[in-house]
Amino acid sequence: MFDHDLIRKWLDEGTINHAQAEKMRADLEEYKTEHRSKKQIIAFSTIGAILIGIGAILFVASNWEKIGDTFRIILLAGSTVGIHYAGYHLRYENRKYPRLGFALLFLSALFFGVSLFLIAQIYNINANNSTLVLIWFFGAFPLIYGYRSTAVAELCSLLFYLWIGLLYSERSDLHELINILDLYLISGIALYFTGTLHELSEKVEHAAAAFKFMGLQAVLLVLFIHTFGSWDSNGKEIVPAIYALLGILFLAVLLSKPLRSRLTGFQIDMSMAAISFLMVGITLTAIYSPVPQEAYMGFFNIVFLGLLVLLLYAGYSTEDIGTINTAMFWFIPLIFARYFDFFWELLPRSFFFILGGLVLLTISVVLERKRRELKAQFAGVKQ
Amino acid sequence: MNQKKILYLTLIFWLLIFSGFIAYKEYTLRTGTEVVLKTLPVDPRDLFRGDYVTLNYEISTLDMEQLQAEDSYFYYGDPVYLALELKNGYGIPKKIYTTPPENELYIKGRINDIIYDWEAEGEAIKELRVDYGIESYFVPEGRGIEIEKQQTGRKEVDAKIIIDKYGNAVIKSLLIDGKPF
Repeated sequence: MFDHDLIRKWLDEGTINHAQAEKMRADLEEYKTEHRSKKQIIAFSTIGAILIGIGAILFVASNWEKIGDTFRIILLAGSTVGIHYAGYHLRYENRKYPRLGFALLFLSALFFGVSLFLIAQIYNINANNSTLVLIWFFGAFPLIYGYRSTAVAELCSLLFYLWIGLLYSERSDLHELINILDLYLISGIALYFTGTLHELSEKVEHAAAAFKFMGLQAVLLVLFIHTFGSWDSNGKEIVPAIYALLGILFLAVLLSKPLRSRLTGFQIDMSMAAISFLMVGITLTAIYSPVPQEAYMGFFNIVFLGLLVLLLYAGYSTEDIGTINTAMFWFIPLIFARYFDFFWELLPRSFFFILGGLVLLTISVVLERKRRELKAQFAGVKQ
Repeated sequence: MNQKKILYLTLIFWLLIFSGFIAYKEYTLRTGTEVVLKTLPVDPRDLFRGDYVTLNYEISTLDMEQLQAEDSYFYYGDPVYLALELKNGYGIPKKIYTTPPENELYIKGRINDIIYDWEAEGEAIKELRVDYGIESYFVPEGRGIEIEKQQTGRKEVDAKIIIDKYGNAVIKSLLIDGKPF
Protein backbone atom coordinates (compact mmCIF):
# COMPACT_ATOMS: atom_id res chain seq x y z
CA MET A 1 0.00 0.00 0.00
CA PHE A 2 1.04 3.64 -0.45
CA ASP A 3 0.50 6.85 1.51
CA HIS A 4 -0.38 10.46 0.72
CA ASP A 5 3.30 11.56 0.59
CA LEU A 6 4.02 8.97 -2.05
CA ILE A 7 0.99 10.02 -4.11
CA ARG A 8 2.19 13.65 -3.92
CA LYS A 9 5.69 12.57 -4.99
CA TRP A 10 4.34 10.64 -8.00
CA LEU A 11 2.18 13.61 -8.90
CA ASP A 12 5.16 16.01 -8.73
CA GLU A 13 7.30 13.67 -10.81
CA GLY A 14 4.56 13.35 -13.39
CA THR A 15 4.25 9.58 -12.88
CA ILE A 16 0.50 10.01 -12.32
CA ASN A 17 -1.97 12.76 -13.30
CA HIS A 18 -4.41 14.66 -11.02
CA ALA A 19 -7.34 12.36 -11.78
CA GLN A 20 -5.29 9.29 -10.93
CA ALA A 21 -3.99 10.94 -7.75
CA GLU A 22 -7.55 11.76 -6.63
CA LYS A 23 -8.68 8.21 -7.32
CA MET A 24 -5.71 6.84 -5.33
CA ARG A 25 -6.45 9.17 -2.39
CA ALA A 26 -10.11 8.17 -2.35
CA ASP A 27 -9.21 4.46 -2.48
CA LEU A 28 -6.64 4.93 0.28
CA GLU A 29 -9.20 6.61 2.57
CA GLU A 30 -11.75 3.90 1.85
CA TYR A 31 -9.20 1.17 2.61
CA LYS A 32 -8.17 2.84 5.90
CA THR A 33 -11.80 3.25 7.03
CA GLU A 34 -12.63 -0.36 6.21
CA HIS A 35 -9.48 -1.65 7.93
CA ARG A 36 -10.25 0.37 11.07
CA SER A 37 -13.87 -0.79 11.12
CA LYS A 38 -12.79 -4.47 10.74
CA LYS A 39 -10.47 -4.11 13.74
CA GLN A 40 -13.25 -2.51 15.81
CA ILE A 41 -15.69 -5.32 14.98
CA ILE A 42 -13.10 -7.96 15.96
CA ALA A 43 -12.32 -6.13 19.23
CA PHE A 44 -15.97 -5.60 20.22
CA SER A 45 -17.13 -9.11 19.31
CA THR A 46 -14.18 -10.78 21.10
CA ILE A 47 -14.67 -8.66 24.25
CA GLY A 48 -18.41 -9.49 24.08
CA ALA A 49 -17.62 -13.21 23.83
CA ILE A 50 -15.24 -13.00 26.80
CA LEU A 51 -17.84 -11.16 28.92
CA ILE A 52 -20.54 -13.74 28.14
CA GLY A 53 -18.01 -16.52 28.92
CA ILE A 54 -17.21 -14.90 32.30
CA GLY A 55 -20.96 -14.60 32.98
CA ALA A 56 -21.42 -18.31 32.25
CA ILE A 57 -18.50 -19.21 34.58
CA LEU A 58 -20.09 -17.12 37.35
CA PHE A 59 -23.44 -18.81 36.68
CA VAL A 60 -21.81 -22.21 37.26
CA ALA A 61 -19.84 -20.93 40.26
CA SER A 62 -23.00 -19.67 42.00
CA ASN A 63 -24.32 -23.29 41.90
CA TRP A 64 -27.89 -22.00 41.81
CA GLU A 65 -30.00 -24.67 43.51
CA LYS A 66 -33.34 -23.45 42.11
CA ILE A 67 -32.56 -25.03 38.73
CA GLY A 68 -32.25 -28.84 38.61
CA ASP A 69 -28.97 -30.49 37.60
CA THR A 70 -30.39 -32.05 34.42
CA PHE A 71 -31.88 -28.75 33.25
CA ARG A 72 -28.60 -26.93 33.96
CA ILE A 73 -26.60 -29.48 31.93
CA ILE A 74 -29.08 -29.27 29.03
CA LEU A 75 -29.00 -25.46 29.24
CA LEU A 76 -25.21 -25.15 29.11
CA ALA A 77 -24.44 -28.09 26.76
CA GLY A 78 -27.30 -26.93 24.49
CA SER A 79 -25.95 -23.37 24.54
CA THR A 80 -22.47 -24.69 23.66
CA VAL A 81 -23.79 -26.58 20.62
CA GLY A 82 -26.12 -23.72 19.63
CA ILE A 83 -23.44 -21.02 19.87
CA HIS A 84 -20.99 -23.19 17.96
CA TYR A 85 -23.49 -23.82 15.17
CA ALA A 86 -24.47 -20.11 15.06
CA GLY A 87 -20.78 -19.20 14.76
CA TYR A 88 -20.28 -21.74 11.98
CA HIS A 89 -23.40 -20.54 10.15
CA LEU A 90 -22.42 -16.85 10.28
CA ARG A 91 -18.83 -17.56 9.29
CA TYR A 92 -19.20 -20.19 6.56
CA GLU A 93 -22.83 -20.42 5.38
CA ASN A 94 -24.41 -17.00 5.74
CA ARG A 95 -21.03 -15.19 5.36
CA LYS A 96 -22.64 -11.80 6.13
CA TYR A 97 -21.14 -11.60 9.64
CA PRO A 98 -17.86 -13.57 9.44
CA ARG A 99 -16.16 -11.73 12.33
CA LEU A 100 -19.14 -12.22 14.63
CA GLY A 101 -19.10 -15.88 13.55
CA PHE A 102 -15.45 -16.14 14.63
CA ALA A 103 -16.27 -14.57 18.01
CA LEU A 104 -19.14 -17.06 18.52
CA LEU A 105 -16.87 -20.02 17.69
CA PHE A 106 -14.46 -18.70 20.33
CA LEU A 107 -17.36 -18.27 22.77
CA SER A 108 -18.41 -21.89 22.15
CA ALA A 109 -14.88 -23.01 23.19
CA LEU A 110 -15.40 -21.07 26.46
CA PHE A 111 -18.86 -22.62 26.90
CA PHE A 112 -17.40 -26.10 26.33
CA GLY A 113 -15.14 -25.57 29.36
CA VAL A 114 -17.96 -24.05 31.41
CA SER A 115 -20.23 -27.05 30.67
CA LEU A 116 -17.42 -29.41 31.61
CA PHE A 117 -16.93 -27.64 34.96
CA LEU A 118 -20.69 -27.70 35.59
CA ILE A 119 -20.79 -31.50 35.11
CA ALA A 120 -17.73 -31.82 37.37
CA GLN A 121 -19.48 -29.66 39.98
CA ILE A 122 -22.65 -31.77 39.88
CA TYR A 123 -20.65 -34.97 40.48
CA ASN A 124 -18.40 -33.28 43.09
CA ILE A 125 -15.18 -34.02 41.21
CA ASN A 126 -12.28 -32.63 43.26
CA ALA A 127 -11.76 -28.86 43.11
CA ASN A 128 -8.85 -27.27 41.17
CA ASN A 129 -8.47 -30.51 39.23
CA SER A 130 -5.77 -30.27 36.53
CA THR A 131 -7.35 -33.05 34.42
CA LEU A 132 -10.48 -30.96 33.82
CA VAL A 133 -8.38 -28.09 32.45
CA LEU A 134 -6.52 -30.59 30.25
CA ILE A 135 -9.81 -31.94 28.84
CA TRP A 136 -10.94 -28.35 28.17
CA PHE A 137 -7.60 -27.75 26.38
CA PHE A 138 -8.02 -30.87 24.20
CA GLY A 139 -11.65 -29.99 23.49
CA ALA A 140 -10.81 -26.47 22.32
CA PHE A 141 -7.52 -27.31 20.56
CA PRO A 142 -8.99 -28.66 17.24
CA LEU A 143 -10.75 -25.31 16.70
CA ILE A 144 -7.37 -23.61 16.21
CA TYR A 145 -6.86 -25.59 13.00
CA GLY A 146 -10.43 -26.47 12.03
CA TYR A 147 -11.58 -22.85 11.97
CA ARG A 148 -8.16 -21.10 11.88
CA SER A 149 -8.96 -19.33 15.16
CA THR A 150 -6.16 -17.30 16.75
CA ALA A 151 -8.38 -16.39 19.74
CA VAL A 152 -8.73 -20.12 20.55
CA ALA A 153 -4.94 -20.48 20.16
CA GLU A 154 -4.52 -17.83 22.88
CA LEU A 155 -7.18 -19.52 25.04
CA CYS A 156 -5.39 -22.88 24.67
CA SER A 157 -2.07 -21.24 25.63
CA LEU A 158 -3.68 -19.87 28.81
CA LEU A 159 -5.25 -23.26 29.57
CA PHE A 160 -1.84 -24.88 29.06
CA TYR A 161 -0.26 -22.55 31.66
CA LEU A 162 -3.18 -23.08 34.04
CA TRP A 163 -2.93 -26.87 33.67
CA ILE A 164 0.79 -26.74 34.47
CA GLY A 165 0.16 -24.65 37.61
CA LEU A 166 -2.61 -26.94 38.86
CA LEU A 167 -0.64 -30.10 38.07
CA TYR A 168 2.34 -28.69 39.97
CA SER A 169 0.17 -27.93 43.01
CA GLU A 170 -1.36 -31.44 42.88
CA ARG A 171 1.88 -33.40 42.45
CA SER A 172 4.30 -32.73 45.28
CA ASP A 173 6.83 -35.14 43.68
CA LEU A 174 7.26 -32.57 40.88
CA HIS A 175 8.52 -30.04 43.46
CA GLU A 176 11.65 -32.11 44.02
CA LEU A 177 12.28 -32.45 40.29
CA ILE A 178 11.90 -28.85 39.11
CA ASN A 179 10.93 -25.49 40.60
CA ILE A 180 7.80 -23.73 39.34
CA LEU A 181 9.71 -20.87 37.68
CA ASP A 182 11.84 -23.26 35.64
CA LEU A 183 8.69 -25.17 34.68
CA TYR A 184 7.01 -22.00 33.41
CA LEU A 185 10.17 -20.79 31.66
CA ILE A 186 10.50 -24.14 29.88
CA SER A 187 6.78 -24.03 29.01
CA GLY A 188 7.10 -20.47 27.67
CA ILE A 189 10.11 -21.34 25.50
CA ALA A 190 8.38 -24.55 24.31
CA LEU A 191 5.21 -22.61 23.43
CA TYR A 192 7.29 -20.01 21.57
CA PHE A 193 9.02 -22.85 19.69
CA THR A 194 5.59 -24.29 18.81
CA GLY A 195 4.78 -20.88 17.32
CA THR A 196 8.06 -20.92 15.35
CA LEU A 197 7.21 -24.38 13.96
CA HIS A 198 3.78 -23.10 12.92
CA GLU A 199 5.46 -20.46 10.75
CA LEU A 200 7.00 -23.21 8.64
CA SER A 201 3.69 -24.32 7.15
CA GLU A 202 1.22 -22.03 5.40
CA LYS A 203 -1.69 -24.18 6.57
CA VAL A 204 -1.09 -23.45 10.25
CA GLU A 205 0.85 -20.17 10.23
CA HIS A 206 -2.26 -18.25 11.39
CA ALA A 207 -1.64 -19.62 14.92
CA ALA A 208 2.10 -18.80 14.98
CA ALA A 209 1.82 -15.23 16.27
CA ALA A 210 -0.57 -16.23 19.09
CA PHE A 211 1.69 -19.03 20.35
CA LYS A 212 4.82 -16.90 20.05
CA PHE A 213 3.20 -13.98 21.87
CA MET A 214 1.94 -16.14 24.74
CA GLY A 215 5.27 -17.99 24.97
CA LEU A 216 7.25 -14.74 25.01
CA GLN A 217 5.08 -13.27 27.80
CA ALA A 218 5.74 -16.30 30.04
CA VAL A 219 9.50 -16.09 29.33
CA LEU A 220 9.57 -12.37 30.15
CA LEU A 221 7.47 -12.81 33.30
CA VAL A 222 9.73 -15.58 34.68
CA LEU A 223 12.93 -13.69 33.81
CA PHE A 224 11.48 -10.57 35.47
CA ILE A 225 10.72 -12.54 38.67
CA HIS A 226 14.28 -13.89 38.57
CA THR A 227 15.64 -10.31 38.52
CA PHE A 228 14.59 -10.06 42.19
CA GLY A 229 17.06 -12.80 43.08
CA SER A 230 14.41 -15.42 43.74
CA TRP A 231 16.48 -18.20 42.19
CA ASP A 232 15.86 -21.52 43.90
CA SER A 233 18.40 -24.15 42.88
CA ASN A 234 16.49 -27.26 43.95
CA GLY A 235 16.17 -28.69 40.42
CA LYS A 236 17.50 -32.06 39.29
CA GLU A 237 19.75 -32.85 36.29
CA ILE A 238 16.70 -33.29 34.08
CA VAL A 239 16.14 -29.48 34.11
CA PRO A 240 19.37 -28.49 32.24
CA ALA A 241 18.76 -31.46 29.90
CA ILE A 242 15.31 -30.08 28.96
CA TYR A 243 16.75 -26.58 28.41
CA ALA A 244 19.49 -28.08 26.24
CA LEU A 245 16.95 -30.05 24.20
CA LEU A 246 14.90 -26.89 23.59
CA GLY A 247 18.01 -24.95 22.55
CA ILE A 248 19.06 -27.72 20.14
CA LEU A 249 15.55 -27.88 18.64
CA PHE A 250 15.64 -24.12 18.04
CA LEU A 251 19.07 -24.34 16.40
CA ALA A 252 17.95 -27.26 14.21
CA VAL A 253 15.26 -25.00 12.73
CA LEU A 254 17.22 -21.74 12.73
CA LEU A 255 20.45 -23.06 11.25
CA SER A 256 18.72 -24.78 8.35
CA LYS A 257 18.64 -22.23 5.50
CA PRO A 258 15.45 -23.46 3.77
CA LEU A 259 13.57 -23.48 7.08
CA ARG A 260 15.01 -20.18 8.31
CA SER A 261 13.90 -18.37 5.17
CA ARG A 262 10.25 -19.01 6.11
CA LEU A 263 10.56 -17.43 9.57
CA THR A 264 9.63 -13.81 10.27
CA GLY A 265 11.30 -13.13 13.62
CA PHE A 266 14.77 -14.63 13.35
CA GLN A 267 16.40 -12.41 16.03
CA ILE A 268 13.80 -13.21 18.71
CA ASP A 269 13.80 -16.90 17.74
CA MET A 270 17.58 -16.91 18.13
CA SER A 271 17.33 -15.14 21.49
CA MET A 272 15.04 -17.94 22.75
CA ALA A 273 17.71 -20.47 21.77
CA ALA A 274 20.30 -18.32 23.56
CA ILE A 275 18.14 -18.17 26.72
CA SER A 276 17.74 -21.97 26.63
CA PHE A 277 21.52 -22.44 26.50
CA LEU A 278 22.12 -19.78 29.17
CA MET A 279 19.67 -21.63 31.42
CA VAL A 280 21.57 -24.88 30.78
CA GLY A 281 24.66 -23.14 32.16
CA ILE A 282 22.97 -21.55 35.15
CA THR A 283 21.02 -24.66 36.19
CA LEU A 284 24.18 -26.78 35.93
CA THR A 285 26.04 -24.17 38.02
CA ALA A 286 23.23 -24.20 40.58
CA ILE A 287 23.38 -27.99 40.85
CA TYR A 288 27.15 -28.58 40.90
CA SER A 289 28.77 -25.32 41.98
CA PRO A 290 26.27 -22.89 43.51
CA VAL A 291 27.22 -19.20 43.64
CA PRO A 292 25.75 -16.44 45.91
CA GLN A 293 22.17 -15.23 45.25
CA GLU A 294 23.49 -11.80 44.20
CA ALA A 295 25.34 -13.38 41.27
CA TYR A 296 22.15 -15.03 39.96
CA MET A 297 20.29 -11.75 40.48
CA GLY A 298 22.89 -9.80 38.49
CA PHE A 299 22.89 -12.43 35.74
CA PHE A 300 19.12 -12.38 35.33
CA ASN A 301 19.01 -8.58 35.31
CA ILE A 302 21.51 -8.56 32.45
CA VAL A 303 19.63 -11.31 30.57
CA PHE A 304 16.25 -9.59 31.03
CA LEU A 305 17.55 -6.19 30.01
CA GLY A 306 19.42 -7.72 27.07
CA LEU A 307 16.27 -9.47 25.89
CA LEU A 308 14.23 -6.26 26.09
CA VAL A 309 16.84 -4.35 24.08
CA LEU A 310 16.94 -7.16 21.52
CA LEU A 311 13.13 -7.12 21.29
CA LEU A 312 13.23 -3.38 20.61
CA TYR A 313 15.89 -3.88 17.96
CA ALA A 314 14.03 -6.83 16.40
CA GLY A 315 10.73 -4.95 16.49
CA TYR A 316 12.35 -1.95 14.82
CA SER A 317 14.14 -3.97 12.12
CA THR A 318 11.06 -6.09 11.27
CA GLU A 319 8.69 -3.12 11.68
CA ASP A 320 6.62 -5.05 14.19
CA ILE A 321 4.87 -2.63 16.55
CA GLY A 322 3.59 -5.56 18.67
CA THR A 323 7.13 -6.60 19.63
CA ILE A 324 8.06 -2.99 20.43
CA ASN A 325 4.96 -2.63 22.62
CA THR A 326 5.88 -5.84 24.47
CA ALA A 327 9.42 -4.61 25.13
CA MET A 328 8.24 -1.18 26.31
CA PHE A 329 5.55 -2.74 28.51
CA TRP A 330 8.19 -4.82 30.34
CA PHE A 331 10.67 -1.93 30.62
CA ILE A 332 8.33 -0.11 33.04
CA PRO A 333 8.16 -2.77 35.81
CA LEU A 334 11.92 -3.37 35.46
CA ILE A 335 12.76 0.32 35.96
CA PHE A 336 10.21 0.55 38.78
CA ALA A 337 11.57 -2.53 40.59
CA ARG A 338 15.24 -1.53 40.29
CA TYR A 339 14.46 2.04 41.39
CA PHE A 340 12.88 0.66 44.58
CA ASP A 341 15.78 -1.80 45.08
CA PHE A 342 18.54 0.78 44.81
CA PHE A 343 17.10 4.00 46.26
CA TRP A 344 14.65 2.88 49.00
CA GLU A 345 17.37 2.96 51.65
CA LEU A 346 19.30 5.93 50.24
CA LEU A 347 16.69 8.70 49.88
CA PRO A 348 14.32 10.30 52.41
CA ARG A 349 10.78 8.91 51.76
CA SER A 350 9.24 12.13 50.41
CA PHE A 351 12.12 12.67 47.93
CA PHE A 352 12.02 8.99 47.03
CA PHE A 353 8.39 9.11 45.91
CA ILE A 354 8.55 12.55 44.26
CA LEU A 355 11.72 11.68 42.36
CA GLY A 356 10.38 8.21 41.48
CA GLY A 357 7.15 9.70 40.18
CA LEU A 358 9.02 12.27 38.06
CA VAL A 359 11.37 9.61 36.66
CA LEU A 360 8.46 7.35 35.73
CA LEU A 361 6.45 10.18 34.18
CA THR A 362 9.45 11.24 32.09
CA ILE A 363 10.11 7.65 31.00
CA SER A 364 6.46 7.07 30.10
CA VAL A 365 6.39 10.30 28.03
CA VAL A 366 9.59 9.33 26.20
CA LEU A 367 8.45 5.74 25.60
CA GLU A 368 5.00 6.79 24.43
CA ARG A 369 6.42 9.40 22.06
CA LYS A 370 8.94 6.93 20.65
CA ARG A 371 6.26 4.26 20.28
CA ARG A 372 3.97 6.69 18.43
CA GLU A 373 6.80 7.76 16.15
CA LEU A 374 7.65 4.17 15.29
CA LYS A 375 3.99 3.28 14.72
CA ALA A 376 3.55 6.22 12.37
CA GLN A 377 6.81 5.37 10.63
CA PHE A 378 5.85 1.69 10.11
CA ALA A 379 2.36 2.62 8.96
CA GLY A 380 3.87 4.99 6.44
CA VAL A 381 6.31 2.40 5.10
CA LYS A 382 3.70 -0.36 4.92
CA GLN A 383 1.22 1.82 3.11
CA MET B 1 -11.60 -31.81 5.25
CA ASN B 2 -14.43 -29.36 4.58
CA GLN B 3 -15.90 -27.02 7.21
CA LYS B 4 -19.16 -28.96 7.53
CA LYS B 5 -17.24 -32.11 8.52
CA ILE B 6 -15.20 -30.10 11.04
CA LEU B 7 -18.43 -28.74 12.55
CA TYR B 8 -19.96 -32.21 12.96
CA LEU B 9 -16.73 -33.76 14.25
CA THR B 10 -16.27 -30.97 16.83
CA LEU B 11 -19.84 -31.23 18.10
CA ILE B 12 -19.72 -35.05 18.23
CA PHE B 13 -16.34 -34.89 20.06
CA TRP B 14 -17.68 -32.40 22.63
CA LEU B 15 -20.95 -34.29 23.19
CA LEU B 16 -18.99 -37.55 23.59
CA ILE B 17 -16.84 -35.91 26.30
CA PHE B 18 -19.94 -34.60 28.11
CA SER B 19 -21.89 -37.86 27.88
CA GLY B 20 -18.82 -40.02 28.68
CA PHE B 21 -18.20 -37.96 31.77
CA ILE B 22 -21.85 -38.22 32.88
CA ALA B 23 -22.11 -41.95 32.04
CA TYR B 24 -18.93 -42.74 34.02
CA LYS B 25 -20.25 -41.05 37.16
CA GLU B 26 -23.86 -42.26 36.70
CA TYR B 27 -22.62 -45.87 36.45
CA THR B 28 -21.06 -45.52 39.91
CA LEU B 29 -24.15 -43.82 41.34
CA ARG B 30 -26.61 -46.38 39.93
CA THR B 31 -24.68 -49.62 40.50
CA GLY B 32 -22.58 -48.86 43.59
CA THR B 33 -22.92 -49.54 47.30
CA GLU B 34 -23.92 -46.74 49.68
CA VAL B 35 -21.39 -46.03 52.43
CA VAL B 36 -21.29 -43.24 55.02
CA LEU B 37 -17.88 -41.76 55.86
CA LYS B 38 -16.96 -39.42 58.73
CA THR B 39 -15.53 -36.03 57.67
CA LEU B 40 -13.87 -32.78 58.83
CA PRO B 41 -14.93 -29.90 56.49
CA VAL B 42 -13.59 -26.38 55.74
CA ASP B 43 -14.77 -23.76 53.19
CA PRO B 44 -12.46 -22.73 50.33
CA ARG B 45 -13.39 -21.72 46.74
CA ASP B 46 -12.67 -23.22 43.33
CA LEU B 47 -11.62 -20.96 40.44
CA PHE B 48 -14.41 -22.05 38.07
CA ARG B 49 -16.93 -23.83 40.25
CA GLY B 50 -17.49 -21.58 43.27
CA ASP B 51 -17.94 -22.55 46.91
CA TYR B 52 -17.13 -26.05 48.01
CA VAL B 53 -16.39 -27.91 51.20
CA THR B 54 -13.09 -29.74 51.50
CA LEU B 55 -13.79 -33.14 52.97
CA ASN B 56 -11.06 -34.72 55.00
CA TYR B 57 -12.24 -38.26 55.75
CA GLU B 58 -11.14 -40.47 58.60
CA ILE B 59 -9.97 -42.88 55.89
CA SER B 60 -7.85 -40.08 54.34
CA THR B 61 -5.18 -40.94 56.92
CA LEU B 62 -4.42 -44.64 57.22
CA ASP B 63 -2.61 -45.75 60.35
CA MET B 64 -0.22 -48.50 59.26
CA GLU B 65 0.27 -49.69 62.82
CA GLN B 66 -3.45 -50.35 63.25
CA LEU B 67 -4.43 -51.50 59.77
CA GLN B 68 -3.55 -54.68 57.93
CA ALA B 69 -1.72 -54.06 54.65
CA GLU B 70 -0.96 -56.36 51.73
CA ASP B 71 2.49 -54.74 51.41
CA SER B 72 4.63 -52.67 53.79
CA TYR B 73 6.30 -50.57 51.05
CA PHE B 74 4.40 -47.76 49.41
CA TYR B 75 5.52 -44.88 47.21
CA TYR B 76 4.13 -41.43 46.52
CA GLY B 77 1.46 -41.55 43.79
CA ASP B 78 0.87 -45.33 44.10
CA PRO B 79 -2.74 -46.48 43.77
CA VAL B 80 -4.16 -48.17 46.87
CA TYR B 81 -7.37 -50.14 47.37
CA LEU B 82 -8.88 -49.86 50.85
CA ALA B 83 -11.27 -52.68 51.78
CA LEU B 84 -14.21 -51.42 53.85
CA GLU B 85 -16.47 -53.16 56.30
CA LEU B 86 -20.01 -51.80 56.72
CA LYS B 87 -21.11 -51.16 60.32
CA ASN B 88 -24.51 -49.41 60.69
CA GLY B 89 -24.01 -47.99 57.20
CA TYR B 90 -20.59 -46.53 58.06
CA GLY B 91 -17.55 -47.68 56.09
CA ILE B 92 -14.81 -48.88 58.45
CA PRO B 93 -11.32 -49.53 56.99
CA LYS B 94 -10.39 -53.22 57.01
CA LYS B 95 -7.26 -53.82 54.92
CA ILE B 96 -5.04 -51.95 52.45
CA TYR B 97 -4.38 -53.65 49.11
CA THR B 98 -2.01 -52.73 46.30
CA THR B 99 -4.19 -54.54 43.73
CA PRO B 100 -8.01 -54.62 43.63
CA PRO B 101 -9.25 -57.29 46.11
CA GLU B 102 -11.84 -59.85 45.03
CA ASN B 103 -15.26 -60.25 46.66
CA GLU B 104 -14.78 -57.26 48.96
CA LEU B 105 -16.18 -53.75 49.08
CA TYR B 106 -13.24 -51.43 48.43
CA ILE B 107 -12.52 -47.80 47.56
CA LYS B 108 -9.75 -46.79 45.14
CA GLY B 109 -7.32 -44.03 46.15
CA ARG B 110 -3.88 -42.59 45.42
CA ILE B 111 -1.14 -41.92 47.99
CA ASN B 112 -0.42 -38.20 48.33
CA ASP B 113 1.85 -38.31 51.38
CA ILE B 114 3.79 -40.85 53.43
CA ILE B 115 4.66 -40.31 57.12
CA TYR B 116 7.60 -42.42 58.31
CA ASP B 117 8.18 -43.64 61.84
CA TRP B 118 11.69 -42.26 62.43
CA GLU B 119 12.01 -43.99 65.81
CA ALA B 120 11.56 -47.45 64.29
CA GLU B 121 14.41 -49.34 62.61
CA GLY B 122 14.59 -49.08 58.83
CA GLU B 123 12.09 -47.10 56.77
CA ALA B 124 8.90 -48.07 58.59
CA ILE B 125 5.77 -46.27 57.36
CA LYS B 126 3.64 -44.84 60.14
CA GLU B 127 0.79 -43.25 58.15
CA LEU B 128 -0.43 -43.02 54.57
CA ARG B 129 -2.33 -39.95 53.39
CA VAL B 130 -4.66 -40.98 50.56
CA ASP B 131 -6.87 -39.06 48.07
CA TYR B 132 -10.01 -40.83 46.84
CA GLY B 133 -11.19 -38.17 44.36
CA ILE B 134 -14.14 -37.30 46.65
CA GLU B 135 -12.51 -34.54 48.71
CA SER B 136 -14.70 -31.68 47.40
CA TYR B 137 -18.42 -31.13 47.91
CA PHE B 138 -19.85 -28.19 45.97
CA VAL B 139 -22.51 -26.06 47.64
CA PRO B 140 -24.59 -23.04 46.53
CA GLU B 141 -22.73 -19.72 46.92
CA GLY B 142 -22.25 -18.71 50.56
CA ARG B 143 -23.64 -21.96 52.04
CA GLY B 144 -20.22 -23.45 52.73
CA ILE B 145 -20.04 -21.24 55.82
CA GLU B 146 -23.22 -22.93 57.17
CA ILE B 147 -21.46 -26.29 57.12
CA GLU B 148 -18.41 -24.77 58.78
CA LYS B 149 -20.66 -23.40 61.55
CA GLN B 150 -22.32 -26.80 62.00
CA GLN B 151 -18.86 -28.30 62.35
CA THR B 152 -17.74 -25.75 64.95
CA GLY B 153 -21.10 -26.29 66.70
CA ARG B 154 -19.87 -29.86 67.33
CA LYS B 155 -22.40 -31.41 64.96
CA GLU B 156 -21.39 -34.56 63.12
CA VAL B 157 -20.80 -34.00 59.40
CA ASP B 158 -20.74 -37.20 57.32
CA ALA B 159 -20.65 -37.84 53.60
CA LYS B 160 -22.88 -40.38 51.88
CA ILE B 161 -20.74 -42.03 49.22
CA ILE B 162 -21.58 -44.48 46.44
CA ILE B 163 -18.79 -46.92 45.54
CA ASP B 164 -19.01 -49.11 42.42
CA LYS B 165 -17.44 -52.55 41.97
CA TYR B 166 -14.25 -51.03 40.53
CA GLY B 167 -13.69 -48.92 43.68
CA ASN B 168 -14.72 -45.60 42.03
CA ALA B 169 -16.56 -43.33 44.45
CA VAL B 170 -19.01 -40.44 44.01
CA ILE B 171 -20.42 -38.22 46.78
CA LYS B 172 -24.20 -38.52 46.91
CA SER B 173 -24.94 -36.09 49.74
CA LEU B 174 -23.66 -34.51 52.92
CA LEU B 175 -25.28 -35.46 56.24
CA ILE B 176 -25.31 -33.18 59.28
CA ASP B 177 -26.19 -35.14 62.39
CA GLY B 178 -27.58 -37.84 60.07
CA LYS B 179 -29.86 -35.42 58.14
CA PRO B 180 -29.20 -34.44 54.47
CA PHE B 181 -27.70 -30.93 54.06
